[in-house]
Amino acid sequence: MTDNDSVIRAEQLTKLYGKQRGILDIDLDIRRGEVFGYLGPNGAGKTTTIRILLHFIFPSRGNVSIFGLNVARKHLEIRRRIGYLPGELEVYNNLTGAELLEFISHLRGGVDWQYVREMAERFDYDLSQRIKTLSHGNRQKIGLIQAFMNKPELLILDEPTIGLDPLMQQEFYRLIGEARAEGSTVFLSSHIMPEVERVCDRVGIIREGRLIAVEDIDVLKERAIRRLEIHFAAPVSPGEFNNIEGVRDVQVHENILTCTIAGEIDTLVKTAARYHVLNLISHEPSMEEIFLAYYNQEDNSAM
Amino acid sequence: MLCNVILKTLRDRRRSLLFWGLGMVALAVIMVAFFPVIRDAPFVSEYLESFPEEFMALFAGEITDYTSGEGFLNGELFFLMYPLLMLIYAIGFGSGAIASEEEKGTLDLLLSNPLNRWQLVLDKFIAMVICTLLVAAVFWAALAIGNVVVDMGLNLARLAAVCFSGFLLGITFGSIALAVGCARGKHGLSIGAGGALGVYAYLLNALAPLIGWLEPFQVASPFYYYIDANPLKNGLDPVHASVLIGLTAIFLVISMVTFERRDLAV
Repeated sequence: MTDNDSVIRAEQLTKLYGKQRGILDIDLDIRRGEVFGYLGPNGAGKTTTIRILLHFIFPSRGNVSIFGLNVARKHLEIRRRIGYLPGELEVYNNLTGAELLEFISHLRGGVDWQYVREMAERFDYDLSQRIKTLSHGNRQKIGLIQAFMNKPELLILDEPTIGLDPLMQQEFYRLIGEARAEGSTVFLSSHIMPEVERVCDRVGIIREGRLIAVEDIDVLKERAIRRLEIHFAAPVSPGEFNNIEGVRDVQVHENILTCTIAGEIDTLVKTAARYHVLNLISHEPSMEEIFLAYYNQEDNSAM
Repeated sequence: MLCNVILKTLRDRRRSLLFWGLGMVALAVIMVAFFPVIRDAPFVSEYLESFPEEFMALFAGEITDYTSGEGFLNGELFFLMYPLLMLIYAIGFGSGAIASEEEKGTLDLLLSNPLNRWQLVLDKFIAMVICTLLVAAVFWAALAIGNVVVDMGLNLARLAAVCFSGFLLGITFGSIALAVGCARGKHGLSIGAGGALGVYAYLLNALAPLIGWLEPFQVASPFYYYIDANPLKNGLDPVHASVLIGLTAIFLVISMVTFERRDLAV
């Protein structure tokens, strides 16, 4: 149990609400220094899990420890060493950004203001503005700054990029990279596959309160099903495309071929290249399609 | 002003505190200004005495001597108006202390810091005590000045005793509202519970002397411990004051314990 490399360890973590779905038998083992993505649609149980980690709600059964410390007993010591971004961030509207950070830094026993100013600059965030007047994206920035400002050992971020424009998302990804480089562990929840692909080392997929898979990101990418659409200059026959490994659901309507593909698209592209290709469109997999990949796999292995 | 939860809470309350202070001063000024008129017009006393005993008991207590500063303030201010205001202030403070942060959603960020839940409740409670005491102190000061201006013949220490007694009554109900907020996380519910209990407690204390079967229950009302020993005349009764302090402490502990043990709302 006292594995030093384990930062978050949950065993059969369960939270039952009356009629609402909670989470059921979640097992997690987040290792030191990794960026772990907790992927699932809204309402799957991501926030419930995170709120248990922070001791805001108590599990119906199961164990959870952080840094090898039991959350129920050592939550204060744990919270000294983590940075947290709530999913639906609400902050004191009557304060300015600087005042909010000052208050939080006092609660945490001090902070490196140089680093705070640097982050504010990177996110193009004006610390002197009253939070009441800020847009959603700017509120999210102050949430990120406070989570990162103590350079915590563990960052728990609930849907961190919601409301951030693409430029700021890139800045956020860089910040994650830096935190990892300095040895921090990151646990972030998301419902967007590309975001998880972009920053995470490992991904846990949660659906309807159950953790259905934990995979290295490379494996996940390989198994992720994408939809491709190829526009040709002349009609093609589906026959030879049907035989390519990983390709399914081939349909041809005159000059346009659509199919789904799992893993690399190399063979498919080379096959298509024999013809005159006008356009190739790849759709990012939706959450449903990712789930399908896993359910199909489970079905296959069951047979 | 943002060094800890107590100071931040005081900072958040500074504007409301200022207006409450101004309001208390205004009330004191009006009451004091009326005193010479009523004292020098004996028919007012006779007129008041012509009211049914029950009516007077309900709104002014059993003190009907409006010719002395002490009797006048006891009847006009300290039986109903002042404790009511202290209750409104403290219940408003206590009910929102935890519940409104929870309803607004700011509690998550606050408690993600190394801060125990019971510590948060205690800090908010201390801020409530400080603010309520300040409101009471401002009221005392305004009356003390008025006492000199119109020569009401009040003993300032005894005046402080009744103001302090009202403050104790206020924080008793403030801590009840705090406890409801801590247990259920609903701001409206804790205002309602605190306010309703306050009204019942007032009526019980006011009506008990008049209704035979109710009389034994008067001691169940915190209002009884606030005013029955007549602190404006006799000074603070240590036993009665201790009852209010004890009740406050009990509800504070209930607040901390229940808040430690329940799930926080999203």
